[in-house]
Amino acid sequence: MTGHGDWHVPDDDLRAYARGTLAPPALWSADAHLAACARCRAGLAEAAGPVDVDAGWLRLDAELDAPRAGWCEGLLVRLGVPDHVARLLTATPVLRRSWLGAVAAVLAMSVAAVLTTGAPDGSPTLFLALAPLLPLAGVALSYGPAMDPTYEIAVVAPLHGFRLLMIRTVAVLAVGIGLNGLATLALPAYGLRALAWLLPALALTGAGLALTPRLGPVAAPAAVGGGWIALLLAAEAAREPGGGPLAPFTAAGQGVCAGVAVAAAGVLFLVRDRFDRSPSAH
Amino acid sequence: MTITVSASGLSLHYGRTRALDEVGLRLSPGVTGLLGPNGAGKTTLLRVLATAVPADRGAFTVLGHDPGTVRGRQEVRRRLGYLPQTPGFHPDFTAFAFVDYVAVLKELTDRRARHREVRRVLEEVGLGDVRGRRIKKLSGGMRQRVALAAALVGDPGFLVLDEPTVGLDPEQRMRFRELIAGAGEGRTVLLSTHQTEDVAMLCRRVLVMAAGSVRFDGTPAELTARAAGRVWRSDRRDAGAKAGWRTGTGEFRQVGDPPEGAELVEPTLEDGYLLVLDGAVDAEVAA
Ligand SMILES: Nc1ncnc2c1ncn2[C@@H]1O[C@H](COP(=O)(O)OP(=O)(O)O)[C@@H](O)[C@H]1O
Ligand SMILES: [Mg+2]
Repeated sequence: MTGHGDWHVPDDDLRAYARGTLAPPALWSADAHLAACARCRAGLAEAAGPVDVDAGWLRLDAELDAPRAGWCEGLLVRLGVPDHVARLLTATPVLRRSWLGAVAAVLAMSVAAVLTTGAPDGSPTLFLALAPLLPLAGVALSYGPAMDPTYEIAVVAPLHGFRLLMIRTVAVLAVGIGLNGLATLALPAYGLRALAWLLPALALTGAGLALTPRLGPVAAPAAVGGGWIALLLAAEAAREPGGGPLAPFTAAGQGVCAGVAVAAAGVLFLVRDRFDRSPSAH
Repeated sequence: MTITVSASGLSLHYGRTRALDEVGLRLSPGVTGLLGPNGAGKTTLLRVLATAVPADRGAFTVLGHDPGTVRGRQEVRRRLGYLPQTPGFHPDFTAFAFVDYVAVLKELTDRRARHREVRRVLEEVGLGDVRGRRIKKLSGGMRQRVALAAALVGDPGFLVLDEPTVGLDPEQRMRFRELIAGAGEGRTVLLSTHQTEDVAMLCRRVLVMAAGSVRFDGTPAELTARAAGRVWRSDRRDAGAKAGWRTGTGEFRQVGDPPEGAELVEPTLEDGYLLVLDGAVDAEVAA
């Protein structure tokens, strides 16, 4: 980490640095050098009063920490998300690139399948069946002892567990719905019918969370996802040949989904304090 | 002596296992050691006291607050620093970012004040110089110090440390002990370990747990005194020995009821610990 040879930050520059008036590129040399040189850091402390040193450290912080904050956190802060919320969100595993890539791949494949095989019933069924599962899985994977390596630390922190859950859920839902929305744009021929995944997505995600205090963070979303697939298979079996879209994607089915989403939100609110502890021992 | 943490009747079972069985304790400022073999229930007790899991029965208070209520629990959590037995990290985070994340969880929302606090705790554990480094690039000892720094955010009055010295080499262990000793000044620290050495060097009080209950509660000197007149050396295992192990010279050091004319030796903390456990210890302790 040395590599600075015999060069050290000149005293004048140190003073300017401490005052916050040192301009690039001298600022950058000082930043880079101070990160590696204890002698100059000591010089900085001498060159300024205690308050100024703090400002200097803050600058140095930006140098040491900001580049590692990652694209996601940077983007969030630029979008107006408070920096402490952005920090909570970047600790959400599913907001990482690998997960987003996997979701995009699944969506691309289902869209491709719809486009190549066509849809005799006038509805992109495969896409509509898969798209609601992705936000459900995303939210499930952003929460719980199996998924969050810092779960044990987070659960005993004073920030309410439900609040942390909601911050993450809103972010994951927003990203999931955004990606689904982009995929929908690739299916213009179906018009609004291609959006019939939205209410089921909200219903499944809400139901998964509402059941978590009872069934646990793995079993609840798994049960809900399994239930959705079973429902679609049953609807497929009940559908008359050549009939319209599957039941959940009809107007009535969409109404039921909306009802489930609202009911789940209500239950979730009632059980909010249960997210405050590790899943119970029994 | 001020009592900062007190518990009575804490019980918790996992299926048929009674992990905690009517545990009561009273802690005061300074470092209290929690000794016990694997499976004794140390982690379970610490998780209950740290409000991570509720006990089936029993009650406790921390610094005057009752974690049985939602509000009391939050007050306890505001005063708590917890280093879990296997602290998890987001490996791509830098040391700074990780501690900063924990600081956000501890309700420090103002960026300036929070960053100042994060720098302070990282300095305190001697990691000021590597705070910009990713956690996956840090050694085990350094990671453990990152976790300690995270526990120290917000200057908690009650610090719960679950076997923090496990897996560290002797030099790191010494370093970590110094940090714990420093952290124990003016706060209540409960330190679980299965190394009597940790207790001998750090603790003003020691609890010994086995099979879910507290078997001893007193000073390290009192624990040592339990073995007075009950430790002897001989060249074979004696019938009255509750436990015995071979020393470097090949002789047996034994604790229990010494035979007639046995060569008694000065007891140590290990001897007292073994007697309290009544020989029911894992090999690691006897080694
Ligand atoms: N999550 C769990 N599920 C089932 N049994 C557990 C769980 N955690 C601990 N136990 C059991 O509870 C007992 C006490 O364990 P623990 O508190 O981890 O002991 P220690 O920390 O002293 O090694 C052990 O018998 C252990 O197997
Ligand atoms: Mg343990």
